[in-house]
Amino acid sequence: MKTGESKGCAVNGADPNKSDGGVDAAHLKRLDAAITRLAKMSAKMKLRQQSPAIDQCVKVLKQPGGIDACFERIEALEHAGIFTGTDWDNPAQLKPVLVRHTLESGHPTSLVLETLSELRFLAIASGQMVHPAVSADEAKNFLARVLGLNLDFLFGAGTEASRMADPDWTATLQSLFKRVAETIGYGQVFDSVIAEIWRILAQRPIETGRIRSMILQLSLWMNEGGGDQAQSGWGADRLISSLFAPTNETREDPGLENYASRLSALDDQSLGHEAAGMARAMHDTGLVSAYHAVLLRHIWQNRPDFIPDVLGLTAAGRLGYRMYADLTHALIEKAICPVTAQAIYGLSLLLERGILHLPPTVPALWRQIGLELAPAVSQRLVATYGGDVPVETRLLAGVISVLGQPLGVGQGNNPTCQAARAIAMWAYTDPDYLLQLVTWAARDNEVRMPFEGKSISSGGLAAGLAQGELLDVDPVSAILVPHLDRIYMEMGRMCAKRAGDPHEWINPEMHGWWVARTFNIIVDVPTGKLTDANGFIRRFYAAFHPDHNGNQPVIHPSPAGIAVTDSAARFVGWHAIAIIRVARDPSGVVRVYFFNPNNDSGQDWGNGILVSTAGNGEFYGESSVPIGDFASRLYIFHTDADQQLEKAPVVRDEIDGVRQKIVESWGRDRV
Amino acid sequence: MTDYNPDKGYIALLGWSLNAIDAMEKFDRRYIVVAPNWAREYAEKNDIPFMSWNFERLNENSFEIAQMLKDEGVDVAVPLYEETVEWAGAVNAVLLDNPRLLGQSMLFRDKSLMKRRAQLGGIRVGIFEEAHDRGDVERFLKRVNQTLLKQEGDANDPIHIKAFDLAGCMGHRVVRNVEDVDLIPESDFPVLMESHLDGWEYAAEAWIHDGKIRFLNISEYVRLGYSVFVPASPELEAMRDKVTAEIEKLIKTFDIKFGFIHPEYFIGPDDVMYFGEVAYRPPGFKVFELLERVYGFNAYQGMVMMFDPKTTEEEIEAFFPTPVKDANGYAGCFGVYPRNRVVSRLEIPKETEDHPYFDWHELSEPMETKVSKRSAFGNHWGLVYFHGEDGETMRDLLAAQEDVDFYV
Repeated sequence: MKTGESKGCAVNGADPNKSDGGVDAAHLKRLDAAITRLAKMSAKMKLRQQSPAIDQCVKVLKQPGGIDACFERIEALEHAGIFTGTDWDNPAQLKPVLVRHTLESGHPTSLVLETLSELRFLAIASGQMVHPAVSADEAKNFLARVLGLNLDFLFGAGTEASRMADPDWTATLQSLFKRVAETIGYGQVFDSVIAEIWRILAQRPIETGRIRSMILQLSLWMNEGGGDQAQSGWGADRLISSLFAPTNETREDPGLENYASRLSALDDQSLGHEAAGMARAMHDTGLVSAYHAVLLRHIWQNRPDFIPDVLGLTAAGRLGYRMYADLTHALIEKAICPVTAQAIYGLSLLLERGILHLPPTVPALWRQIGLELAPAVSQRLVATYGGDVPVETRLLAGVISVLGQPLGVGQGNNPTCQAARAIAMWAYTDPDYLLQLVTWAARDNEVRMPFEGKSISSGGLAAGLAQGELLDVDPVSAILVPHLDRIYMEMGRMCAKRAGDPHEWINPEMHGWWVARTFNIIVDVPTGKLTDANGFIRRFYAAFHPDHNGNQPVIHPSPAGIAVTDSAARFVGWHAIAIIRVARDPSGVVRVYFFNPNNDSGQDWGNGILVSTAGNGEFYGESSVPIGDFASRLYIFHTDADQQLEKAPVVRDEIDGVRQKIVESWGRDRV
Repeated sequence: MTDYNPDKGYIALLGWSLNAIDAMEKFDRRYIVVAPNWAREYAEKNDIPFMSWNFERLNENSFEIAQMLKDEGVDVAVPLYEETVEWAGAVNAVLLDNPRLLGQSMLFRDKSLMKRRAQLGGIRVGIFEEAHDRGDVERFLKRVNQTLLKQEGDANDPIHIKAFDLAGCMGHRVVRNVEDVDLIPESDFPVLMESHLDGWEYAAEAWIHDGKIRFLNISEYVRLGYSVFVPASPELEAMRDKVTAEIEKLIKTFDIKFGFIHPEYFIGPDDVMYFGEVAYRPPGFKVFELLERVYGFNAYQGMVMMFDPKTTEEEIEAFFPTPVKDANGYAGCFGVYPRNRVVSRLEIPKETEDHPYFDWHELSEPMETKVSKRSAFGNHWGLVYFHGEDGETMRDLLAAQEDVDFYV
């Protein structure tokens, strides 16, 4: 037997001549062999050959053309069992919103499986593969949402993508998303991108960096002739124009310097149009154009009587401006420039909220205007935002935004929901205290808080939940969260030996006297089992439901804990939120309006519970669900002792209904 | 497994092997795994039919397990490890009502008896003797070298010593001088001593049914204990007829009617073959996996068919490919031993990973940083697999792996 005679045999079906656009033939041969080994494994032993196959997918995916090579093999991979026993096993249960998180996690196995999962949807969407649980249309919709949420990967220039440690993966993901966009058609993507931006904007976040880059990409896309815009693109113009051409004089996006020189030549009527146009764009979208800053500075210097117009103020705001014009001017001078233009929206709402009428607020803001920052704090801000404007300007702009939009605070991509919630609640209800904390953090780089009589200083404590730099947060959070996070962890340590949940003591001590001292929890901490569910639900209704508490509205935001569930109603984790209001929505349903610091509040909690962020009587930044649904995810809340007296009895049916929803979801194994 | 063919035998696998279980899961025969109790949890969790048994020295309890399997309805027992060979013999003696099977299995389990039996059958073996202490070893070393007319001061020809009843490389030592003798631990005795045979060492795997070879593979060792590939190179395959004749002698001498054997031979000068030893179980190195890679058939399933009394002739004919001709290239594997005394991580050498023949590996990160010294031919840390078109390239590639570090 000669060696040569065996050469004709094909290796596991792959044609070695097919180069797949540059992937090394040896890698493809190994991948095919790995797929064969995995496919040959019996169901019970599948997992033993999964990780070698995944490893080989990594090698192929990281090469140019790797996405195409894996796409050709995706059906074989699926049948071989690459997804068996993983979170990606059942495509019908996957969530578009989770994709980004996985791609950013940098966890190699998850990255590969996520990428392959998208390829599987692609194959289903293009009819190349039939899946019993997902139709072609469903696959298309899924991909459209994924693409909308991850546009920056498509363009490859996004900040998130560049943060990824491995540059090979950045290129791989770019070609993945390119392939997705080509397959499902740019028109569809376009619409989902637009819808996604509006969905986020409905929550009026302070941090708009990601939205701005999405809109920039959107406009590039339109300029490059993104195809069939005729039947799509509804709402795109408003988004793009609000940033790049909000008014008559900016229609062709003339550049900041040209715009500034044009302004001095405008007559009153035209200047009035400019002011009204800017204000309209801002209040329509919650986004502020850099041109807006140029106009505001021009008006402040030349025609201050136009300030209420350029801020888009109502009667309440105009009154505030008239009473505190000097302070307003000083804030504009020190804080507003094209880079910090977004704070104009905060300034407008700050005046509208009337908080300047609280005696300590005005002098506290004057202190903030003159505040010098500790070197370490300056460095942190420069590291986070760059040095294109003075750090004092950056921080002051951040303070204005937080005071104007308390519920626009978000935790960003950080595990610090407690601290983000605290900042939002203080900005909402206790602004001068927040200004005090900002001063301590900015000037002294230290925050002190008492805990049951003992003073805790953030200075001597090790980092808490937030390790390293915070991602995607506003300047106030950037300087304050590290201190709050440390103090929160220290308070936790001081409660470590006590029986029960530490939030019972931490919440009132950390947030303020207005957090009620009677603690309600539905979970028995040592066992994790439900305890006195009926009493818990009854007490919640007695304290918060207008029909049972004598129609008493919520006075201060009330910190509460929820058991977050996913769309299949499975328990995901504990999460800190704040109850802002309980009221009837326009259709008469009693809803709980709450603040969720995670800033992507339109969640699906499963069992038909969809968290709404707009259209059900929400104010910007609020999330809401009907009170029964809310109670079914609640696990911690605070009340005053006398709030527990039912003004009108809570009927058994209501309690049973809530209880049923608990045991059908996160309480399934806790009964 | 739920969908098995009731016309086929009910198989008991003696010993715990995930690859064998995997093979049975995909096969058409009902099966049960007989293994020590530590495997029970995994078996139950994964819904694998299981019966617990401690395979220590064969004793009066052996009849008990045979009876249990008979009551269960099992047709035949298949040994997967050296330690279970005599158990399979004892069990099958009962299940197949053939008392000779027990005696036959004892021959496979005692290397000294095995050699004598082979010698009686006219099979060529080296010089061998049993040793009960170090004095016996020293005497044998001297006598062998005297026979070879070595002078005082000449380098000795080594001798090999092997535990009577351990598989493959376990307990195998090479002794060159008196100092080596002192290193043998007391607990190793008694042992079998053999003269060293210079030459080309290879192994074969034969699937036997009805006293006939149904498939014969020749495995080429690049270096004993390190690397092997299949099919053998054309030079070795050229001797396939001679190899077949040798194995037929073994079948006759050991009176093998069915089953699977794994003998080792040396080819001396003038292509004379010397019998080394034979095992009645799958080879320790992953030759079965290599065979599947090049031929596509599952070697465990083939083995089970050989044991199963209900296997039909047609089934066998359809199952096995034509040796060498049907192979889609060469598959080889290399057992990695760390070369450094202290290691911190796994790092596949670039020249290995970049070679077009590299297929995959099952190495994992080191569990401990200090590498214990290899006294005998110990266990490797995992295998690296290769596949390619040319036998010579494969042989060079496997040899080259001995000079690179996988653990640094």
